[in-house]
Amino acid sequence: MDLQLALLFLQQGVASGLVVGSVYALLALAIVIIFKTSEVPNFAQGEMLMAAGYVALYLLVFRALPAWASISMTIVVAFAGAALFRRVVLTQVAHASGSPVNLVIATLGLSYVLKGLVRQTGFGDTPRSFPALVSTDSLMIGQASVTRLDLAILGTAIIVMAAFFWMFGYTKLGRAMRSVGMNPKAAQLVGVNLNRIHTIIWGLSGAISAIAALLISPKLLMTADMGSVVTLGFAAAIVGGFASLPGAVVGGFIIGIVEQLVGLFVSSRAITLAPFLAIMLVLILRPQGLFGGRVVIKKV
Amino acid sequence: MPDLLEVEGISASYGRIQALSNVSLRMPAGSIVALLGGNGAGKTTTLNTISRLVPLTAGSIRFEGQPLNRLQSHHVVRAGISQVPEGREVFRDMSVRENLDMGAYGRSDPAGVRSDLERAFTYFPVLRDRLKQKAGTLSGGEQQMLLIARALMARPRLLLLDEPSLGLSPVLVQKIFDIIARLHADGLSILLVEQNAAVALAASQYAYILENGEIVLEGASDALRQDEAIKRTYLGS
Ligand SMILES: Nc1ncnc2c1ncn2[C@@H]1O[C@H](COP(=O)(O)OP(=O)(O)OP(=O)(O)O)[C@@H](O)[C@H]1O
Ligand SMILES: [Mg+2]
Repeated sequence: MDLQLALLFLQQGVASGLVVGSVYALLALAIVIIFKTSEVPNFAQGEMLMAAGYVALYLLVFRALPAWASISMTIVVAFAGAALFRRVVLTQVAHASGSPVNLVIATLGLSYVLKGLVRQTGFGDTPRSFPALVSTDSLMIGQASVTRLDLAILGTAIIVMAAFFWMFGYTKLGRAMRSVGMNPKAAQLVGVNLNRIHTIIWGLSGAISAIAALLISPKLLMTADMGSVVTLGFAAAIVGGFASLPGAVVGGFIIGIVEQLVGLFVSSRAITLAPFLAIMLVLILRPQGLFGGRVVIKKV
Repeated sequence: MPDLLEVEGISASYGRIQALSNVSLRMPAGSIVALLGGNGAGKTTTLNTISRLVPLTAGSIRFEGQPLNRLQSHHVVRAGISQVPEGREVFRDMSVRENLDMGAYGRSDPAGVRSDLERAFTYFPVLRDRLKQKAGTLSGGEQQMLLIARALMARPRLLLLDEPSLGLSPVLVQKIFDIIARLHADGLSILLVEQNAAVALAASQYAYILENGEIVLEGASDALRQDEAIKRTYLGS
């Protein structure tokens, strides 16, 4: 491969990688906020994304609602659904047994329920394409070709992440969320209602997953199994250290770029290996992840 | 007129471990009451039942005449009881300022919070110079001060202090107890948990002694300091 071509591939890979990476970053963020504050990895994250995608598809295509209404309703439904699951199901499970294993199993249960529901409606029977709400005309950035849709995806993801980090870092609610992650007992002692904060965090995680669904759906075929895209969010979270929010974001972009570069330089069939390559590399060179500190086990 | 705090015949357990059985204690408003006892005696558990972190299996707790039993833990601080937990339970990755803001979490009177922050600095001037520093990077003594200041930010009427002297040098212990005396002089009621019986008896008016989850002795602190048995077991002389 000559240098010219390599440079072109590099630019294209980085540009496309930033676009898909921004969605992985959102997914990683959604995973890590839950893990950081409740120590439960949510195995239904992918199905939450998938279900939100179908809610949007239903509203937009089958009910022909305007885009703004479909988008906002989808986000609200995702927030409410995830919050309700935390509030009702996980609270009950936690009451019945203190073991975190049961909580994890409950999230697995949710993933099957959501998949089942989508299959039940019949919308998930055949792969469907989600209409692009932004034109897919391409334009050149340097030597890389990207679509307007790509730019809209990247821009939206960045705005959502910025809003999240502002909320998390600079508002009273965000401070309460951080306090619960750092020291739940002390948080309770100063008057933080753990249940309320956990519920809001799950809701936010659901809403962010829904936004990721809206962004990624036009770029893939929708099926009831599309939730598997969240594997890349988990990969991003691991690369970033799993308990670090900035790490999740950087991890998302890294996974996205590595994936696109492998696709261009090696082969498109090798793409699925890329995230695992990135994980292996990070785990070998820096076992705690790029942004991971010490591992601390917390008890509620 | 009810006492400020009335703990009546409470029991608590962790699974099969009975941590408290039939513990009763009361403290009048404006007092410092000490709760003494060795490792694992149940001191922390007693405070945590008051803070509603540990459920009661029997008995009742009243604060200013009102039963606490029905409150959830996050309501207790709004009811006027702040706990300073044992071990340096600061929010490590937050700045000192954010820790203090967390202390005022349940309040919605910004002017009052600002004046209480200034008041906290009169007790702990060192914190003013550390406002931007991460709490986890403070020294042990500074973390203890931050914990007390954080609890004060809720403007409590009862302060539950769990082993404030633990792991501190004698000079720092003296400093912390000077501040406890000032807080008391300014009208705060304090339930003081300590293993360091000598300091705690000197600082308090009344004391209870816990052993294996039961109150084995109680009395005026002055009298207990003269008690031969106490001297042998708790004062090391
Ligand atoms: N979270 C817990 N789970 C199980 N048992 C516990 C727990 N916390 C305390 N215990 C047990 O309950 C009993 C009372 O413990 P507690 O912490 O109240 O004692 P303490 O008087 O505060 O001791 P220390 O001076 O060491 O702090 C001990 O036997 C202890 O082992
Ligand atoms: Mg203790």
